[in-house]
Amino acid sequence: MATADSSSTALRRRDLCSRGIRLAGKMRTDVVNLLDAYVEQQGLDASASVAAVEGVPLAAVERWDEQTGTQRLLENLAAYRAFRALLAQMLEEQREQLGEADAGLGRALAAVLLQVSAFAYHLEELLRLESRGIPVEEGDGLPPPPRLSLFEQKLRGLGVLRELSQWATRSVRDLRQLAKPSPATDLAESP
Amino acid sequence: DSHIQYERVGADVTMKCGSMDWDAAVTWTINGTDIDESHLNGSYLILKNVDLSQSGQYSCYEGSSWHLKYQTKLRVGTPPKEPVLMCRSNNYPKGFYCSWHLPTPTYIPNTFNISVIHGTKDMVCEKDAIPKNRCHIRYLQLFSTVKYKVTLTVTNALGKNFTTLTFDEFAIVKPDPPESVVAKPVPNNPRRLEVSWQNPSSWPDPESFPLKFFLRYRPLILDQWQHVELSDGTSHTITDAYAGKEYIIQVAAKDNDIGTWSDWSVAVHATPWTEEPKHLTTEAQITETTSASTSSFMAPPTTKICDKGAVVGSGAMAVCWTAGLVVAAYSVLFI
Repeated sequence: MATADSSSTALRRRDLCSRGIRLAGKMRTDVVNLLDAYVEQQGLDASASVAAVEGVPLAAVERWDEQTGTQRLLENLAAYRAFRALLAQMLEEQREQLGEADAGLGRALAAVLLQVSAFAYHLEELLRLESRGIPVEEGDGLPPPPRLSLFEQKLRGLGVLRELSQWATRSVRDLRQLAKPSPATDLAESP
Repeated sequence: DSHIQYERVGADVTMKCGSMDWDAAVTWTINGTDIDESHLNGSYLILKNVDLSQSGQYSCYEGSSWHLKYQTKLRVGTPPKEPVLMCRSNNYPKGFYCSWHLPTPTYIPNTFNISVIHGTKDMVCEKDAIPKNRCHIRYLQLFSTVKYKVTLTVTNALGKNFTTLTFDEFAIVKPDPPESVVAKPVPNNPRRLEVSWQNPSSWPDPESFPLKFFLRYRPLILDQWQHVELSDGTSHTITDAYAGKEYIIQVAAKDNDIGTWSDWSVAVHATPWTEEPKHLTTEAQITETTSASTSSFMAPPTTKICDKGAVVGSGAMAVCWTAGLVVAAYSVLFI
């Protein structure tokens, strides 16, 4: 029975990883397109360096190949939850700034927000599969973010989308590592 | 005393004979050959508008005693022009390498110094033994949005120059071409070629970082390539080859998600399978004994009707038949 359970878990994991890879791949394509449109419509320089923005999870990681499967899932989940909030904020700012003038950009932002939410949920499914507790989502009771100038909002938006694009690429790689049928995935149930 | 003296092409050079007075009688030589007195101003050697051919060992001897009073190795050259620098990751995610060269030679020794900065962090680029103009770096971080800045400075005795490259982690990813490309005909299939290849051996982890491939092929007799993009697998069957025509085939690779396409692989040649020709005696016998009602399609018994590799139409099967078979077919129709 234990063998059947573990093999069905392995199959389910592989299936979730495959779907997750496709989700992340599609999300990456859409984020890259959104980034191009955002840069153009906000009048920004595509090559501008943006300092790390507070609250934006950085995709950059050291010793990526040494991470355990659980670390990968937890870091991904934390990141996409943060992006969910950041994109929602960007969407609200977009609507306040431009109203209907930039409906296309607003729609693209909303579409990516939906994908980010779906991916976060997908990651939760993977964590549930491994009988790992889902971390409680932070953010309740936190003070509202400081009010930024219009230009600062645009730059922050650029930073958010750039980092999200990196995360989407990283997530594809992370899920491929998870999908590998080896002990290195480190997702076996605790003894 | 002997030392090295570097001078620019086109410069005017004056050499003093050590501590000898201007009016001392001296003899100058270059690589052991006496220099004509017309180049002397007193004991000074004057070389105007020097060129590369004037590089050499210059020696000055006291007139009568022939004592060596001064020696110098003159090296004529140029200051370095802006170097050409290239950085590339063919082994992502392990690291990347940078290589460089000068667009024109300086004819004198040059020293190259490379610095790599990632954000505020200095990174060490370890020089390769071979080739000498290359160094490599291991990635300490992956998936970073912070750009890398590589500055190469070239210095020689006549001047210095530098160049800087700034790039993202993803932008320089370019695998080596696929290896071991093989193309084979498919038995009994005159329009197929089976192509297979391997991931470049320099790509460290194709399972986690899969490559996609681009295959191009054309018959040697045509200039236009056909292209096929393949998102997985390391083989492909061409199904629209022209029968009997020799093909040239190449494959390129790219990381599935980032970077640019590799160069094309080494080209391989292959010709689709063709049917062996039937024995001529048999054809002649059939031609003699069957009806001649379709004589317009008959050919002399010893001649094949068409070239083996003839293409009937762009979408049709290439066919080669013998006179006997055609006649036999029409005989059946007209019975």
